[in-house]
Amino acid sequence: MTTLSRRTLMGAALGTLGAAGLPFRAAQAAGSMTAAVYPGGWDEALRAVLAPALKQAHGVDVAFEPLFAVDQIAKARAARGVAPFDVFVLDPGPRVSGMDLKLFEPFDPARLSNRARLPAGYSDEVGAGVAAQVVGIAYNPKKVARPAGWRDLFKPEFAKHLGLTGFGTTFGTISLIEMAKSVGGSEADMEPLFTELRKILSLVPAVAQPAAMPGLFQQGQIDIMYTNTYTVTLLKSRGVDIEFAVPETGAAAFGTTMHIAKGSRNIDAAYQYIDTMISTPVQAALAAPPYSFVPVNTEVKPGADVPMKSIDDLRSFVTHDWTKINPQRPRWIDRFNREMAK
Amino acid sequence: MTEQGAWRLALPLALAQAAFFLAPLLLLAATSFATDENLGSLSLAAWADVLGDAFHLQAVLNTLRLGAVTVLATLLLAVPLALLHLVAGPGLRRLILLAAILPLLTSVVVRTFAWIVILGREGVINSALLSTGAIAAPIPLLQTEHGLVLALTQIEMPLMLLPLIAALRRIDPALLDASSALGASLARTLRKVVLPMALPGLLAGCTLVFASASTAFISQSVIGGGRLAYLPMLVWQQAMVVFNWPLAAALALTLMGSVLTVAAALSMLGRRAAHA
Repeated sequence: MTTLSRRTLMGAALGTLGAAGLPFRAAQAAGSMTAAVYPGGWDEALRAVLAPALKQAHGVDVAFEPLFAVDQIAKARAARGVAPFDVFVLDPGPRVSGMDLKLFEPFDPARLSNRARLPAGYSDEVGAGVAAQVVGIAYNPKKVARPAGWRDLFKPEFAKHLGLTGFGTTFGTISLIEMAKSVGGSEADMEPLFTELRKILSLVPAVAQPAAMPGLFQQGQIDIMYTNTYTVTLLKSRGVDIEFAVPETGAAAFGTTMHIAKGSRNIDAAYQYIDTMISTPVQAALAAPPYSFVPVNTEVKPGADVPMKSIDDLRSFVTHDWTKINPQRPRWIDRFNREMAK
Repeated sequence: MTEQGAWRLALPLALAQAAFFLAPLLLLAATSFATDENLGSLSLAAWADVLGDAFHLQAVLNTLRLGAVTVLATLLLAVPLALLHLVAGPGLRRLILLAAILPLLTSVVVRTFAWIVILGREGVINSALLSTGAIAAPIPLLQTEHGLVLALTQIEMPLMLLPLIAALRRIDPALLDASSALGASLARTLRKVVLPMALPGLLAGCTLVFASASTAFISQSVIGGGRLAYLPMLVWQQAMVVFNWPLAAALALTLMGSVLTVAAALSMLGRRAAHA
């Protein structure tokens, strides 16, 4: 005969309670998601502003996975098209790669309650714009004169302070394209860029990875670099002597977009995440210091360091066709490596 | 368990190695011989690109040279320090050991960025030299091979110093006394007694420093910069930015093969010296 001890009974009771609790935990899990986020400033800003707003508005918990745009695509690609997170945040180049590789769920902008606050064309069948980036020339006003434009960077008095970075990032790629245009080149012909770079290469104090550029600027190794307004504001807030110069041909701009990863099991939470990201309070908080994002919400004014009054001004900025750039980029990267090598 | 069945003890590790090291390595090799990462069809294009391209071959040579020069630089500093440790009192020994271990307690990223502060145009070295009047204008240290070797020497020093100290500590002091009593000079004692007995530790240190310095992706990219082409950076770029996985795989295998060849050569050298 089997006897029931007190311990067995307690165990059975706890097991039953645990089983009863399972549906509750599953419901909790449905209110959570994982989002990729750029490391550094973006990670800091979205954790501080977006995560609490999402929790308050929708009861959704978000876990962030800090990854650069190209790393997000590489990870999804390595996982045979199924990203280990629910939402991508991407620049235009990786966005086009993601579309080509079919890494995104179809996107229905009608599911965004804040859709009307986005300018026309900022949401489509693959995702929604959540921020913009304005790219130009950053310089140290205590060390060098303000460069008038991209062409100035090839002059020895500027070149000896210039930090170069290659085609590995969106801002690097579009800056080099604009530099090419300033010396007679184009997206179809980058030869003039390489010819001019070869002439100044011995003067240039650093050719570095994009992530190393702010550190090199801060340490005085370089006094001029091409970058976005966001980096300039961030460095300025940390006491670095830095100013943003809009080139005479105009600053270049591009949008940062969010996309729902193919196969995501948290589609509803992902829509709520993107919707909260473009909501007025979140965009206003992200546009304010110390984050200084360029907002895409038409109700929010960009900060003082951003050379525009509203997101509508972005139409007058220089933009690029990434469907044309992406196929050429591997060749440019390879060429840049070879041209820079000592 | 009988002696015959003892091999079963190694089974868990062997299975883990097969699943998590050997299988991915075979996949890497297969990718290097394919047209894309889906292993759709066979191609030798990636290998032709690595072995037939002067730029890639130069990157292989640069990587091997960086490893070799870093080994020599760490040896130059580590050997006197290890000998000092051998003859020092307990207090100084503890200090040397602490100095050797201290860098390991800091992240390699932090150590690498600290070297930017030291080597930069307005860094510690240039500021000191400028203030003493030794130089009129900042000298380029950052983004140069000698700057990178300098940083790697500090970063990799524990890998050389610790095996060397361990090997020297195993030498019976009576042997040194005997050598001296038999009339051998200090130099002869070092050459004939200390060096042969310290050789296993020396070679272990050389292998560790070589492997670590030639694959030091962060230090190479941050301190070395874009003008010095090394294999780890090219592997990363092809895999993560260009998405040319067959070329990335071929470059990664080339890096692994090069480092393994040098490690095998060092090991063979050690065996020959032991039998000599």
